[in-house]
Amino acid sequence: MPAGNDQLVSLEWQPLPGAGGATIFPLIRKIDTVSSNSYIIQTPDAIILIDPGGLAAQAEQLMQVVTECRAAKERPFFILLTHAHIDHFIAIQNTPALAVAGAAVLMVQEEGAACLERGDAAMTQAAMFNTTIAPIKAGFHLVTSDRREHPGEPVELCFSNGALATVTAFPAGATSLSLNRETIVFGPASPPLEVFHTPGHSRDSICIRMGGLLFIGDLFFAANPGIAGLVGWSQEDLVRSLDGIGVLLDKGEISVLCPGHGRLIPVADAKKMLPLVKRDAATLADIAEFNPDRAAEIATYAEDIMEQVNQLFTVMAGRLYYVSYVLDELEESGTAEELGTLIKGDDIDELLDAFRTFSDEHHKKKGVSVHLALKAGQVVGKLQRTFKTDELAHIIDPGIVRRTERLLSDYITIFRGFTPPREVSVVDLSSLIEALIEGLTIPPISCNAVFSSTDDEKAFARVLLASIGTRPLLEDMDVVIGNAPDALFVTIDRENFADILTYILEDLVGKGSPAIRIAVCGSGGDATVSISGTTPSSSPECESRKTDRFLTGLCERAGASLAVSHGEDTRNTYMIQVNRIV
Amino acid sequence: MEIKTTSKDNATTLSLNGRIDTATAPELEQAINKVIDGGQRKVLLDFAGVTYISSGGLRVLLATAKKLKNPGDKFGICALSPEVLKILKLAGFTSIFSIYPSEGEALAGW
Repeated sequence: MPAGNDQLVSLEWQPLPGAGGATIFPLIRKIDTVSSNSYIIQTPDAIILIDPGGLAAQAEQLMQVVTECRAAKERPFFILLTHAHIDHFIAIQNTPALAVAGAAVLMVQEEGAACLERGDAAMTQAAMFNTTIAPIKAGFHLVTSDRREHPGEPVELCFSNGALATVTAFPAGATSLSLNRETIVFGPASPPLEVFHTPGHSRDSICIRMGGLLFIGDLFFAANPGIAGLVGWSQEDLVRSLDGIGVLLDKGEISVLCPGHGRLIPVADAKKMLPLVKRDAATLADIAEFNPDRAAEIATYAEDIMEQVNQLFTVMAGRLYYVSYVLDELEESGTAEELGTLIKGDDIDELLDAFRTFSDEHHKKKGVSVHLALKAGQVVGKLQRTFKTDELAHIIDPGIVRRTERLLSDYITIFRGFTPPREVSVVDLSSLIEALIEGLTIPPISCNAVFSSTDDEKAFARVLLASIGTRPLLEDMDVVIGNAPDALFVTIDRENFADILTYILEDLVGKGSPAIRIAVCGSGGDATVSISGTTPSSSPECESRKTDRFLTGLCERAGASLAVSHGEDTRNTYMIQVNRIV
Repeated sequence: MEIKTTSKDNATTLSLNGRIDTATAPELEQAINKVIDGGQRKVLLDFAGVTYISSGGLRVLLATAKKLKNPGDKFGICALSPEVLKILKLAGFTSIFSIYPSEGEALAGW
């Protein structure tokens, strides 16, 4: 990590800004879910390790540094956790050197200490990573309710490793700060260490300040998708904690924030980030808990949608190549080149390949669901930023662009713990099917539109592009619709229903079905749409299963249910059933 | 990806096996170019072993179609899996070059 005016260098000892006599050795890692950053501080009276992390190799590296410090001058050793999530502490359990190193005192906020002592797999997120933890006894509980009953009164402590320290509690509101806090002094020559209780990301989250540094754990990531909603997460607490830290930053004593993951944050940047984190947090009321079961559901959904996303992006890129090919034929190569900027095909291919490789490895090594869900979130986020939807929708079938956009945003919505919006209305199923089929049969650009645009060069170019790029799916298709004799009123989400019908028809048309038959009928309280076609051969079982699962989920979101049969005679039938309003 | 090149009846068939993606599309382009640069103007791609095609693969197909558009030139693809056929159809590629059920049926018409 490069050093700047207000930055620190990773893996080197350097003065701790604003804390005379103290030095710091940061270990800054690339962001991942396996292990946190670690920070070792030494003062004349103590050695303090903040967050040992989750990797044995990291812990060994830290212990070597601590051992060297102690060889230079023997001092008591303290380990503080910004919160008891396994990526911040599991190295304690897995690294004997840390567990027994000169009787280190483990200091954790009282709720985190209780979780560690009972080996709580849910609160520590061990369950999320498909592992367990053995009970760990914390040597000292931080920011306790007991000490808050005696605000401002210094308490002298003698620890099991022989160390002495003074702790003073200040309840929220006792000063201008709205956070419960404690000050710990490890000795006469040591600058004070302040601990602020900042729940939200977890119940036990704390921020730790020494001099001009504020160690914030995962506070700034707490509103991120895949993190918000973890067991122990609280929106209300998070917003309150962010407010409290905002006040602390405004006091001007802090120059750099040291996060639990990734690069250090200069205070000026932190002040810009804080309102954004708070804004995100404010939108997260009532999100679903992000627990192992939900992570597994999301991971399955991720694999299902990525199959579709892959096809849609390849088709969109292919359509653009096709348009540019035709333009080249018309000697319009300038316009053809411009089209290449609308979808960055190579970037998209790389992203989709990266997800596939990750997914293959995940299945081979029986990985944890949360990693797959997070990877999909990362890929989907990048895909959303990669393609220019509005411009694309003027050139190729806007239906494909809109469906892709919705697929990506639905994933992010579900990943964040929400349910994608659904707008149900009462419709006549027969009329709806007819309108949808008509929309997929008639070219969107009429001959009249082409003729009437010839006087305006720009308008003509636009109409020309669209007429090349949009090809109605059912243009040359033999489609037979057998409608019910009477109106069949159902309650349904039209857009989701239109999407599912399009996905099914695309599959049949694309795989070469010579004809498609659609039958709409009503029976008692049910209305049924049956769509069938014959494809030359069936798809590989795995892909077919993912597609069927995706369609079934989409159908449920539309307010219907789906049964799929792939007959041995290569006949594919999709039966959509909806409750009928009688 | 495996590429096997065979020539008969004045045409060259490249039989492909595997995925055509970011990593393998340049390899395919190179193999096709080698055949065309060698003077062959009738090229058939046998997709019987192709399980996936990315946008990079589609670009290679279009580039080949552009190179083989003179009178007498032939470019086609045969034995597509339903998944790959779906991508080519929906992208509009089936109107640019010919798709055949098998190598025999393609070469019989050339």
